[in-house]
Amino acid sequence: MKEVPVKIQHNNEWIVVKLGIADDRISIPEPINKEILFRTITDIAEKKNVLIITVKTDTETVYKILSVEKVLQVLKKLILASCNAYRLMAYFMSPAIRGGVMVKDAQWDKGSVVVVSSGIWFVSATKQICVPVNDVAAIELTKRDVQGKPTDVIRIDHLDSGEVSSSFVLCPLSTLQVLYNYLRDTTKGMDMKGTELDSIDQQVAMLVYSGMDSHAIENMLNIPQKQLDAIYDKILKLGLGEVVTMRREIQLTTKGVRYISDATKSQTN
Amino acid sequence: MGKILIVDDTLFMRTLLKNILFSGGHTIVGEAGDGEDGVTKYKELKPDLVTMDIVMPKLNGIEALKSIKEFDPAAKIVMCTAVGQEQMVKLAIKSGAKGYIIKPFQAPKVLEEVKNVLAS
Repeated sequence: MKEVPVKIQHNNEWIVVKLGIADDRISIPEPINKEILFRTITDIAEKKNVLIITVKTDTETVYKILSVEKVLQVLKKLILASCNAYRLMAYFMSPAIRGGVMVKDAQWDKGSVVVVSSGIWFVSATKQICVPVNDVAAIELTKRDVQGKPTDVIRIDHLDSGEVSSSFVLCPLSTLQVLYNYLRDTTKGMDMKGTELDSIDQQVAMLVYSGMDSHAIENMLNIPQKQLDAIYDKILKLGLGEVVTMRREIQLTTKGVRYISDATKSQTN
Repeated sequence: MGKILIVDDTLFMRTLLKNILFSGGHTIVGEAGDGEDGVTKYKELKPDLVTMDIVMPKLNGIEALKSIKEFDPAAKIVMCTAVGQEQMVKLAIKSGAKGYIIKPFQAPKVLEEVKNVLAS
């Protein structure tokens, strides 16, 4: 068993330990003193340099492991290959589209797609990409041109650092259908009827998506601030958006008016 | 920064693109609501770049692209397409389009694509 120094969260504190890594398990020494078989890991997620794993035996325990990228890569590779998850061999392209523009030199990677409760992992010899389930905006069975032939693929739209990206998964159609159903099921909580927003609301949502601010939206759609606020409320209530900044409108006090009048005078003199 | 002609049959998309491109420092020299008008305006305005919708009345985006390319083989045209029209995009690229953006799009990526095409 190889040993690598990592930090593990224990009683809300980070402690340095030498983590033992074998092909089918990791071993955490004192004071945690735990051996974890990879097949008992039911979820794996990553936030910055912290790997979060959920282990389910009689009870469910979450471990947070902090280390350098190289160590985490080895850990992720081993865990993703053996953990308790929906896993299939496939070709994937991730990301293929960013913000509506094709990623230059995007190509198909041969590897596997691993679906755990918190996310979808694309794993190949050189890549370990995680799309958190909460960031999945849409899943669609569609066709894509692969080596000159229209081929069935799954398209997954997801948020990545504030940008909307799309990834594609390619495998035999029967497997694709199973994966599609599984992914649809995993992300069911995000489904909506599609009738919640009327035409003008949808236009506002589309403009927000495109990066327009409130002022631009009011001008483009020729709507007053009050109406836009009401639409924002609707979007927020449906959980389709979140407040980033609050815009303030002010009017000048007498002191302010005097200041501006004086400034104007000095400019004209 | 470039002089840009926007060809799209929906006012909403034209306005959106106009705002995005304007915010990136480009000049919008004209707008057209169908492919036929797009070709006429291209000949008249000679823009540095055209953003061209694909599904449009009168003359669709691919046909308009071909007409513009016949008139000016060096024309720089970026196709705007909806998801699921990848086949059309392939045809457009074959017909001489320099780039494409997929609706719905995000402003920074549109500006990046336009910048790349203008620099090409």
